[in-house]
Amino acid sequence: MDPTTIAHPGSSIGRTLVVVFLRGGADGLSLVPPVGDDDYHRARPRIAVSAKEGVALDHRFALHPCLAALEPAFHEGCLAVVPACGSDDDTRSHFEAQDLMEHGSRTIAGGWIGRWLRRSSHGESAALSALALGSEVPESLRSAPSATVLRSLDDLALDVDAPPRAAMAELYAGDDMLAASARDALSAVERMGRLRADAYRPERGAVYADEAFASGLRQIAQLVKAEVGVQAATIDLFGWDSHFLQATLIEPQMRILASGLAAFAADLGPRLATTSVVVMSEFGRRVHENSALGTDHGRGGALFVLGGGVRGGVHGTWPGLADGSLDGPGDVAVANDYRDVLAPVLARHGGGADAAFPGRAFADFAI
Amino acid sequence: MNIVPAAITASRGAPRGRTTRRDLLLLMGGAFAVLASGCSVPGILAPAGPAAAFPPPGGERIDELGHVLSRCSFGIAPGERAEAGALGIDAWLERQLEPAAIDDDACERLARGFSVLGEPAGELYEYKKEVVARELAQSTLMRAVHSRRQLYEVMVSFWSDHFNIDLSKADCAWLKAADERDVARAHALGRFPDLLRASALSPAMLWYLDGRENRRASPDDRPNENYARELLELHTLGVHGGYSQRDVMEVARCLSGWTVRDRSRFRKGMVEFIPTAHDDGEKLVLGQRIAAGGGAGDLDRVLAIVCAHPSTARHIATKLCRRFIAEDPPAAAVDAVAGAFTASSGDVRAVMRALFACPSFRAEEPELRALRGAKLKRPFHYLASMLRATDAVTDASRQLLDHLAALGQVPFRFPTPDGYPDTAAAWKDGLLWRWKLAAALAANRIPGTRIDADDLLRRAGGADGLARHLLGRAPDPAERRALDAAGPSRALVLLLSSPAFQRC
Repeated sequence: MDPTTIAHPGSSIGRTLVVVFLRGGADGLSLVPPVGDDDYHRARPRIAVSAKEGVALDHRFALHPCLAALEPAFHEGCLAVVPACGSDDDTRSHFEAQDLMEHGSRTIAGGWIGRWLRRSSHGESAALSALALGSEVPESLRSAPSATVLRSLDDLALDVDAPPRAAMAELYAGDDMLAASARDALSAVERMGRLRADAYRPERGAVYADEAFASGLRQIAQLVKAEVGVQAATIDLFGWDSHFLQATLIEPQMRILASGLAAFAADLGPRLATTSVVVMSEFGRRVHENSALGTDHGRGGALFVLGGGVRGGVHGTWPGLADGSLDGPGDVAVANDYRDVLAPVLARHGGGADAAFPGRAFADFAI
Repeated sequence: MNIVPAAITASRGAPRGRTTRRDLLLLMGGAFAVLASGCSVPGILAPAGPAAAFPPPGGERIDELGHVLSRCSFGIAPGERAEAGALGIDAWLERQLEPAAIDDDACERLARGFSVLGEPAGELYEYKKEVVARELAQSTLMRAVHSRRQLYEVMVSFWSDHFNIDLSKADCAWLKAADERDVARAHALGRFPDLLRASALSPAMLWYLDGRENRRASPDDRPNENYARELLELHTLGVHGGYSQRDVMEVARCLSGWTVRDRSRFRKGMVEFIPTAHDDGEKLVLGQRIAAGGGAGDLDRVLAIVCAHPSTARHIATKLCRRFIAEDPPAAAVDAVAGAFTASSGDVRAVMRALFACPSFRAEEPELRALRGAKLKRPFHYLASMLRATDAVTDASRQLLDHLAALGQVPFRFPTPDGYPDTAAAWKDGLLWRWKLAAALAANRIPGTRIDADDLLRRAGGADGLARHLLGRAPDPAERRALDAAGPSRALVLLLSSPAFQRC
């Protein structure tokens, strides 16, 4: 890894894919309520978002008021929203559904991001090409040439208790096999050393809240701007499994999601054009509210793509919520397969979607 | 569910009597309580009495003993050199070739802490996927670190790569645990034909390479060639081993009908032969005719043909020589090892004896000396060798496995059937993460893993002894300068981060 490959790894020069996974099955009908659909209000007499409350996107859909921070991005045309999106598997188990979505199918080894990175990097590992913000490597990054769990940017520094850089440089200088790799690693450390997390000043007035999700996004923004070769980063937001008193559970999460993404978009500024943020969840939830003012596990949910040259707007087929069009026990049908939605996003990053989802005949999805 | 493996010192050979896992856990609870109050607990977290001093190597260069131990193990633990030296190199190798005769009770007790792994294939489904996967990775690391049957563990990892299965595919997360036990562990130093047959009929392999889908229930069904191709290309003849696309298709026909019951069925995970899904016509495999009507017996005919093929002997010999001798092994070594493979019909012990007899393996002659310390340890080997060299106490926690993820070698997670590569090019760019791992380990920053650096220094007889123990020789002038610059408090981390310790 020499300095030029740090800046321009693989074929996707300077581009970064950020995948936000909403774990627990986020209710698509709350994130992007079809306020213009009477069936929606009939199915959810007590918990529906009214047309007046929602942030109108088009004649049918609105954003939940707690996602209002995303309204500017939508009107600027850099936020795409895909309702009724999900996978073709009808498991309603969190674990199975997450596993499937992250692997891309029941029968392929590795994760979709990992396979895609392996293809675009030709199997060689660049130290910082794939990062998982948080505490563990998600299944989607399995089979990446390397995947680094990052709790904080400061993890990327040589630790204070490591040997001094000069001593390491001296030790490795004469090694026929490892001298070049060591030089590159030490130079990466030096570059990272100028990026201490606490010294970072977000640009364009972006304000990241003082919580884990926003802080993760802030660090991703910092790495993107530093051009250290991050091709993919993942970050999770938990707390979407809203069987009970849904609003009290997910409204705070929606605010965290929207304010984090809004700050990220503002902070990146022009770099948002080469950074795609995908927001997805393992499934959506039952159309009818339950007796506890919550909703149960369902099928179709909402997927968002922010930036990266995406065509803004509401996309895809809407299957409707009439009784005859529901799936299984009364769920939003999956009219838009997430793999078809991701294909054009990945294509803009280079490497091709067929590496991520081998063997899939992608349906055209102009996003 | 939480199954917490008991942590234990990595010191080999300290008899502790029979202790059940429950006893160990109870003792551990007490031990941690006492540790918290600042006292040491003899016999539990440290060997009985103060750990013995050990003589580090005395030479200016890596000697034959150090070289052989380094290549045939996951790293050299304190005292191990003296023990093997007393026995003599040849006797040590012979003993390592008979793992059942080596008392490994302490390690076995640890391994039993991962109780899931003893279950039959079908029963593994009763556990959560991630529990089985994690315990398998943890137990693999624990055995690599603690087992006294080091050559056996190295061979298990060799075959596990050779017959690679990525447990993130479909049902493999559950079934790989049975595969590891019933294929690589059962036959690591046995006969190659038995190993190959066990792999061919392993439930996990039938999932991983789609053998379960290979059927011909109607004349329109086309065989699934995935396993047949990898059987020839990776497991036996090798990619240029002299087979054709026609051979791949014929092998697939021979194996059609073998499948494994999925989760929706009674006796899930059971391998069975469905005669009506088998193509029972005549086949021609690598020039040999297999008569029609062979049924399930076609499998054994195919395996016998590929095992006896000279390309298989050469392919396996090349890979073994790459692992044990050099990335580009000398032709003479490959010839000798392949010859032993053919002469013994794939007896792995006989094959390894031939390898151990190669001058290039010993690297004793002056023109071969450069082979010593010339191989880059793969990340798993690097981690295990640090834990062994420092006599670390570890529970193989998730945090430790996270370091392996950053280094790119979590066990059983390589996505394609060729297994983790055995070349320096594939691994040499991960140095930053190696250094971070060494620093975390040396500073006791990894939860569940502890080393006693002061005691190690004492046992090695001081700074020079510690350097010799970890480098396998006296430090060279550059290493001495770096050690002086780093100071005594950073000597251990410097040595573990040094280029010499990246190699074996």
